[in-house]
Amino acid sequence: MSVRPRSDWQDHDWHLVHVEPQPPALHMALDDVMLDEVAAGRRPPTLRIWEWAGPAVVMGRFQSLRNEVDVEAARRHGIEVVRRISGGGAMFIEPGNTITYSIVAPESLVGGMGFEDAYAHMDAWVIEALAGLGIRAWYQPLNDIASDAGKIAGAAQTRRRGAVLHHVTMAYDIDAGKMLEVLRIGREKLSDKGTTSAGKRVDPLRSQTGLPRAEVIAHMVETFGRRHGGLKVDTLHPDELGRAQALARDRFGTPEWTALLP
Amino acid sequence: MESTDIAAHGEYKVPGGKLVVVDLALAHGRLASVQVSGDFFLEPAEARDAIDAALLGLSADADEAEITSAVAPAFGADTRAFGITPEGVAVAVRRALDAADGGKGGTPGGGP
Repeated sequence: MSVRPRSDWQDHDWHLVHVEPQPPALHMALDDVMLDEVAAGRRPPTLRIWEWAGPAVVMGRFQSLRNEVDVEAARRHGIEVVRRISGGGAMFIEPGNTITYSIVAPESLVGGMGFEDAYAHMDAWVIEALAGLGIRAWYQPLNDIASDAGKIAGAAQTRRRGAVLHHVTMAYDIDAGKMLEVLRIGREKLSDKGTTSAGKRVDPLRSQTGLPRAEVIAHMVETFGRRHGGLKVDTLHPDELGRAQALARDRFGTPEWTALLP
Repeated sequence: MESTDIAAHGEYKVPGGKLVVVDLALAHGRLASVQVSGDFFLEPAEARDAIDAALLGLSADADEAEITSAVAPAFGADTRAFGITPEGVAVAVRRALDAADGGKGGTPGGGP
């Protein structure tokens, strides 16, 4: 392979995919398909911003379903439980309450980097975007973005066949009570911090910017393009969407995959 | 031990904050089923299956060093891992075994 060991953000022709809301299992499948497409050179490096068609718990690849999720509580609230292809911890998502994005790129972008550097590198533009919105934020190793008002985001990465997938969920305005009902680990983590009161919001982005979610996203997109030499508006290719829909049906939306580690 | 099917649960929070979780069942003093899980990062993903497989059949009396030696080969040269190590797995397994030995069979969060 003649892959260059290292590339810069500006070496790439970045594309933006930000389309209509999609169901959780399809988002899992899209990450999988787009990672393959970038690895194969059929898709340029892409920033994909997710919109959610419904509430979800997204587990890490290696988490145990029963240890991490109160499945009965999730069912009661109509929350779909899915498993992503990257490691890391579970997240609770309701439409409009988070900002979630994926960056899919040639692995050369993080070439030679260890875990810690690779995570911070892939989100350096977000730290800059947040600063532009008046939020002092920093990377907290391994995979968190933190601020004075608490944790803003959690990231996860996976690499495959010369491509890297980096995806992040940022807390815009999360219903902490509901999150604690469905995520077992969240109960422990938040109880440590004494923030378990009912009705509590985890809203570091909303409270610190005072901006609607769409404006925060617009500023992030603008920052990404300015910092990385442009960002072309793109869409999902019909074959990508078709393959992702098939994968959502046959794999990512199945009880077998969700309970891969029961 | 009388029972031939003792379920046990152990956890180890590794430096850096990731959690390695082990759920296992014992039969005749050996690990008869094992599931290593957690919020760690591991590539290729199949390495996790290899870790489970390496633990199967180990004696419930195995000490941390023995467990570490058993799972170390599952972390091959091409494996990229963060938040999970052979030593971390061994600590979680040993904690599960000690919980089972204490008659608790404790499965916090492990369902009914």
